[in-house]
Formats: sequence, structure tokens, C-alpha cells
Amino acid sequence: MRNLIAFLQRFRIFLVFAVLQFLALLWYTTFLSFPRNQYLTTNNNIAIQLLEWEHDLTKHFNLSKNNTDLQWENIYWRKRQPKFMYQLSRGKVKISDTLYEQQYTYIPAEVINSSINRRNNYFTLNVGTAQGIKRGMGVFCQQGVVGIIHYASEHYSLVKTVLTKDINIDVSIRMKKTDLPGLLKWDGRDPRYGMITGINNDLRIKKWSTVETRGGSGIFPKGLPVGKVSFTEPIEGQALWKVEIRFAADYRRLQRVYVIKNLHLAEQTALEARIPEED
Amino acid sequence: MNVVYKHTIRFVIFAFLQALVFNQLNIGFGIHLMIQPLFIMLLPFELAVIPMMGIAFLMGLVIDIVSNTYGLNTSSLVLMAYLRPILFKFYGPREGYDPLKEPTSQDMGANWFTVVYGILLGLHTFWFFLLEIFELGRIGFIFQKTIFSGVLSFLLALLIQSFILNSKQKK
Repeated sequence: MRNLIAFLQRFRIFLVFAVLQFLALLWYTTFLSFPRNQYLTTNNNIAIQLLEWEHDLTKHFNLSKNNTDLQWENIYWRKRQPKFMYQLSRGKVKISDTLYEQQYTYIPAEVINSSINRRNNYFTLNVGTAQGIKRGMGVFCQQGVVGIIHYASEHYSLVKTVLTKDINIDVSIRMKKTDLPGLLKWDGRDPRYGMITGINNDLRIKKWSTVETRGGSGIFPKGLPVGKVSFTEPIEGQALWKVEIRFAADYRRLQRVYVIKNLHLAEQTALEARIPEED
Repeated sequence: MNVVYKHTIRFVIFAFLQALVFNQLNIGFGIHLMIQPLFIMLLPFELAVIPMMGIAFLMGLVIDIVSNTYGLNTSSLVLMAYLRPILFKFYGPREGYDPLKEPTSQDMGANWFTVVYGILLGLHTFWFFLLEIFELGRIGFIFQKTIFSGVLSFLLALLIQSFILNSKQKK
């Protein structure tokens, strides 16, 4: 016993160091995959208040550019509205359409805190469970995909962006005749470029062909823009392409985003739960 | 000014400058400016290691919570606080440190500060990026980030120190 106490006395500095390191690393490793406690994220009251003040100071920095983008988006949709079109064939009866049903609904949100130069980048949004946000919903902006909701508190939520280590969004490269499915990754180097893995090199990929979401997992609708292929190279020893893409969205000055709510997601997961598991 | 008050005020200023200003700057080339190691460096000589590690843990906690880094800053600051007394002992004068002096480049000389703070900041930054990236195949990228961020953070630390000293001399 005396030996043990002597040992503890002798190494107490190192022991305290080891305990503190263990706590910090435990926090780091568990929170990257599943955050449990909102007080250890930016979603707590004090941190969010600080970030709101900071956001009030900096939100007008890109105002002119963002307004121009929104105006262009308005023009895009306005051009597609029937009441602003010239009617070519007159005298036809308009029938209210029952062929289509709304599958996705969108919740507008504002990014109040963001980072782009770390290995794992998270954005804080000013919407939460009060607005119907849940963990696992998709987030996109006008130009392209942003990420997936990682944690939602009552009035705020945390987005795991595509600029993180293990996000794996289902995407496909769209070419003239084929769709090549793959997974979107990020290598941590440049927030303008991402990577796609799992693309077989039996087909040639044209530079600047578009990359879109595939819509298989029900998080994102089919056909949301992700980026354009900027560089391809065969991986040595594997029948795969190394594909680098340029993101359509500029995450460095992102401000307004939309959260996607899939109205059919419960139905899809209930159906997919019926697939018998092989053991 | 009382030492405790002085360092409490510094704690608040350094933590929030880091979390709200320097963590929001996106310079490119993998540069990440860090001023929180300077706070640990400027703590008084006679402070024992265990309270210092506690302070480092708290500081890291505050920065991690505000910037969603989940323990990265905490881990690297605790490591730095653990290593500080070892390096101070190694590079210290034979008769021990003068308790009236502070571990700044003005009090202890630019050479001493460059060596000690350079090593501490380098280790802190390397540990930070090693944990953050955590891929052995990308060791070159880790070194690139460490060197770029380390050199710029060191220059920033010199700048901040000159501000602190100037305000003292005017009084």
C-alpha cells in the first residue's frame, strides 16, 4: 500500500496529464460520430449568443453577392411560372393535376457560424426542432449540396458539411447515356475541390461532366447539383478512377441554405426494414 | 495589478479572440493561426504543473465548444501545459528563474523565448494537426500545415507581446 501511494505521489503529474488527455480524446472520438450532449457543442445558450453577436457583425460582408445570387434564382423560377408565359395554344381546358404529389418540402435557414479550413467542418444553422429539423435531414444551398444535419436542439442545429472526413453522400456523375454511381468524400486540402470514390474505370469520364445527387437514400432528391468533374486519374492496381470534382457551391461565403424534409422517408425506411437480414 | 486578475482577464481575451476571430479567418494554404498557446506560455513561472494543466483544459474546453472542434484544442493545450515545465527546467538559468520576471521575450531575452516557445508551439501545432487529420499517408500535409501555421502563429505571438509591453511602459 505504501508503495502504491509512493508511486502515485511520484507520477501524479503524469497521471493527471493522462486523465485530462483521455477525457479530451474521448470527447473528440465520440462526438465526431454521435453528439449526445448539446452543452458541449455550439448549440448551448452562451456559445450561440456569442456567435449570434459575431454573425450580426459579419453577416453583411457578402451581402451584395448573395443578393445578386438570390435575384438570379428568382428570375430562374419566375421564367418557369405559367402566368408569365405566352400561351401558344388557346381554348384548352385546364385540369388540376393528380399525377404529381409533393415529396420534398424545404425549410429556409441562415448559417450563423461556419468553418472551412479544418479537417471536419461544421456549420451552425438558426433553425431547430421547433421548425421541424431532425438529425439526418439534408441541407443544400442554391448552388449545390451542403451537408446533413448532425445534431438539432430546440432553436439551432449543427450541419455536418461535405467538408468532413466520413460523410459519404450518394452521388452520380451524369454523362450523356449513363449515370455512374459513387460516394462523395473530401480529402481536407481545399474547400473548393472534393473527391468521388468507387467509380469503375471501364468507362471514360469527360472533364466538366456534372455530378448530381442520386436520391437513393432519401435524404436528398434526385438531381441536386454537387459539382463538376475537374480531374481524373486511374488508381494504380485497382480498376477504379480517382475522380476530383470542383464543388458547385462556394462554401467560403455561404449564408442562406435550405433544409430538406422528405415527406416519404418514413414510408421508405419502413419498407426497407422488411428486407430479410442474412445471417 | 493582481496576478490572478491579470491572468483571468487574459484568459477571457485570448479564448474569445481565438474562438471568434482567428478561428473564423480562412487564409488558405492550410494556415490556422493560434494564439491560445501564448496564454499558457505567459502564465507565471511559479505556477505548479497540475493547476496549469487544469487551466489549459478549461481554455481548450471554451474554444472547442465555441468552434465545434470537440476536444482538439483541449488535448493539444493540455499536452503543451505538461511539457512547459520540462522545457523551462532544461533551458532555465542555473540559479532558477527570478520570480519577479515573466516568461516573455522582453523579460527573458529574445533568444530564450524563440527557443522555448518555438519548441512548445511546434509540438502543440503538430499534435493538433496530427489528431485532426489522423492519416499516416498524409504526413507530408500534416508537416506542411504545422510549419506554415507554426511560423505565422509565432510572429503573431511576438506582435501581441509587443502590444502588452508597450501598454506597460506607458504607465
